[in-house]
Amino acid sequence: MRTDAISISRLVKKYGATTAVEDLSLRVRSGIIFGFLGPNGSGKSTTIGCLTGLLDPTAGEIEILGQRFNAENAGLKRRMGVMPETLGLFEPLYAHEFLAFVARMFGLDEGNTRQRVTELLEALELTDTSKTLSEYSTGMRKRVAFAAAVIHSPEVLFLDEPFESIDPAGVALMKQWLRKFTEQGRTVFLTSHVLETVERLCEEVAIIATPGKLVWQGDVTTFGREGAIRYDGREFDALEPLFLHLTGEKHAELKWL
Amino acid sequence: MDFELIGQLIRLRYRLLWAKTRSRTGKIALFMAGYLLLMPLLILLSLGGFGAGLAAVRLGRAEQIAQGVLTGLYLTATITSVVLGFGLNAIFSDMELRRYPLRFQERFVARHLTGIVDPFWLLFLALYVGLAIGLWGYGAGSLFLEPVAVVALFISNYLLAQLAAAVLDRVMQKKSGSVLVPLVIFGLCLTPSLVAPQVQKNPAALAGVVRVLRYSAPFGAGSLMTRTDMTALNGFALNVTWVLVLVTALVALETRPRRTRAPQSTRIRWDTPYDRAAAMFSPRYAPLVANWMRFYLRCSRFRIAYLMSIPLVPLLIFIFPRQTHGNPFVTALGIFAIAGFAPTGAFAVNQFGYVGSGFRRYLLLPAGPAATLRSSSYTLVALSSVVLPLSLLGWLLLAPVRSDGRMFLMLLGCGVTGLFLFHGIGLWTTLFGARRADYYATMGNDLSLVGNVVLIGGMLGCLFLPRLLERTLAPLVAPENWWVVIPAALAAGAFYFASLRQTGGILVAKREKLLAMTEGRS
Repeated sequence: MRTDAISISRLVKKYGATTAVEDLSLRVRSGIIFGFLGPNGSGKSTTIGCLTGLLDPTAGEIEILGQRFNAENAGLKRRMGVMPETLGLFEPLYAHEFLAFVARMFGLDEGNTRQRVTELLEALELTDTSKTLSEYSTGMRKRVAFAAAVIHSPEVLFLDEPFESIDPAGVALMKQWLRKFTEQGRTVFLTSHVLETVERLCEEVAIIATPGKLVWQGDVTTFGREGAIRYDGREFDALEPLFLHLTGEKHAELKWL
Repeated sequence: MDFELIGQLIRLRYRLLWAKTRSRTGKIALFMAGYLLLMPLLILLSLGGFGAGLAAVRLGRAEQIAQGVLTGLYLTATITSVVLGFGLNAIFSDMELRRYPLRFQERFVARHLTGIVDPFWLLFLALYVGLAIGLWGYGAGSLFLEPVAVVALFISNYLLAQLAAAVLDRVMQKKSGSVLVPLVIFGLCLTPSLVAPQVQKNPAALAGVVRVLRYSAPFGAGSLMTRTDMTALNGFALNVTWVLVLVTALVALETRPRRTRAPQSTRIRWDTPYDRAAAMFSPRYAPLVANWMRFYLRCSRFRIAYLMSIPLVPLLIFIFPRQTHGNPFVTALGIFAIAGFAPTGAFAVNQFGYVGSGFRRYLLLPAGPAATLRSSSYTLVALSSVVLPLSLLGWLLLAPVRSDGRMFLMLLGCGVTGLFLFHGIGLWTTLFGARRADYYATMGNDLSLVGNVVLIGGMLGCLFLPRLLERTLAPLVAPENWWVVIPAALAAGAFYFASLRQTGGILVAKREKLLAMTEGRS
């Protein structure tokens, strides 16, 4: 029987009097691409922050790969790859220097480091060695951050908005890698606002609403198999109408626009 | 000129400042900086200026003394601003202002009107105003002309500092910039102390200097403050000319396209000097140290500070004994302590301020935040320690007194004490006085109030403490008691390593706040 790759139990994160995540419980099976969706400010990045050790939860428990996780659990961090929302790059470094640094920090030996850095740079078309990361375009920087997340072959991959700003060819390559990644039993946990991509790529999706409250979790392959998902007495033929139904569709007319 | 929009931007600058007071720490910081420090300083400096004005009238040479005082203040403001970076930080960059419907001239005015109200410039304005009131109060100044003189001088002072910083920034873009800029800054710092003794000895030289200074803005302002005849009109014309010339030069420089580095495709090098140097550390820290080394040594501001500190000791040893009456060796003890932290001090007190979102990456690594802080500190200590043997060599070649082995040991001991003591304090300041800083800015001062107090206060303390000890506890600084530096260095080392141990845990607890700070969310 497959264990859960990620298990969140009654997670709460507060900033002073503001609640960013409220009583969130979630299970993510191993070997799938899991989409974590929600409107802006609903607590997606805060949840990923808690899952990756950037933030301390106010309450609740997190288990990753069957182990209790906290920010100090270096052994578990070695088995995780993270592409944060703000990318976390060192601007004055060249791409190969940055990737080699990350690889060494995750314990790769020198031979493996050099081989993987070279292969990643070539595959992601980052071979222009005349520019530092600060001189790269947003899309190129995103590719570097993606490469840094996967370079040590993690067992669980957290990707915060991975496809935004990347050109279609880059997105197609990343999707291909992610599918291969999960075929080997590894897990991807991603957030995105591009619902079409999520619908096609992910097997399961969780939708949260402000403040970090789970409003729906389910198998989105149903759309492909059965053509629609039934919820709340209605049928939804795609993820977008379901998302809008759950998080509240907005209508505002600006006469001057 | 769209003054309404410019006015909105100036108001925005204060709204942003006010927004910081919404948090409890923001209120405390504003109270400390605004009321406990800035206000008394403004009053004190106004009184200082008033006193100078009073003295000028009483001595019956109001014009000459006013001109001398204004020249001194003008030079001090310019040099302090360029060297320490005070009053140079742009509140809004030209790029940021381009999003508004403003032309270049309007953006220029908006940027500099928000820049000139920096507290640093207000302190010098207080001195100018104090002097003007002193002169007027004792009947040597005109109520109508003095405000004109003060405003014109204040504006030209600000513009001169901005222009000097902009020129140095451009020079830094050249390959030789890292060497040229420290030399120019050194020249700026040392010229007054080299010229002053020569002028004192030679009255003819003084007359020559005065002839040249007659065409300067402070001399013009001095005449405008104290005279009501044609000389005052000349002074007014001179100040207006200076403002126009400086504005023109600044506009010319700012509109000139910046040199961009020609793209050079380089072959990937795996085994760099950074990696080889970092290999001296344990395998756990080596990649982190190599990363920090790359990060620091590619930073223009770091390179300037570092290269400036290498000739610091020999030059101070050369200058100080000629200016002071104390024992040169005692003075050198303090200078060596400065050499222990001056090369890396500005970064040691704000280790995460320059990394931006890179701080997030450090938190994601399996090494843990404490290892990040340690490795950064180890890197800075290692880089600073390189300057100590060079300083000893400087002493060997330039020492104004005969030296023996005990003196060398004492100097080295003071250097090591400064190295560990201030890098230990730097760890605490990094956690409790951190501030988001601009990695790519060559000039300016991005440190927090606490960071500046530690850095500048530390340097002043090192210069004056040994001389105080010489007067009160002379045996402590005598070569016969050379062994005194050993417990001092050991205590500093113990403090440093204890700080490393303590701050690691505190960093874990404070990481969310630091994350928000480094990413500009607080």
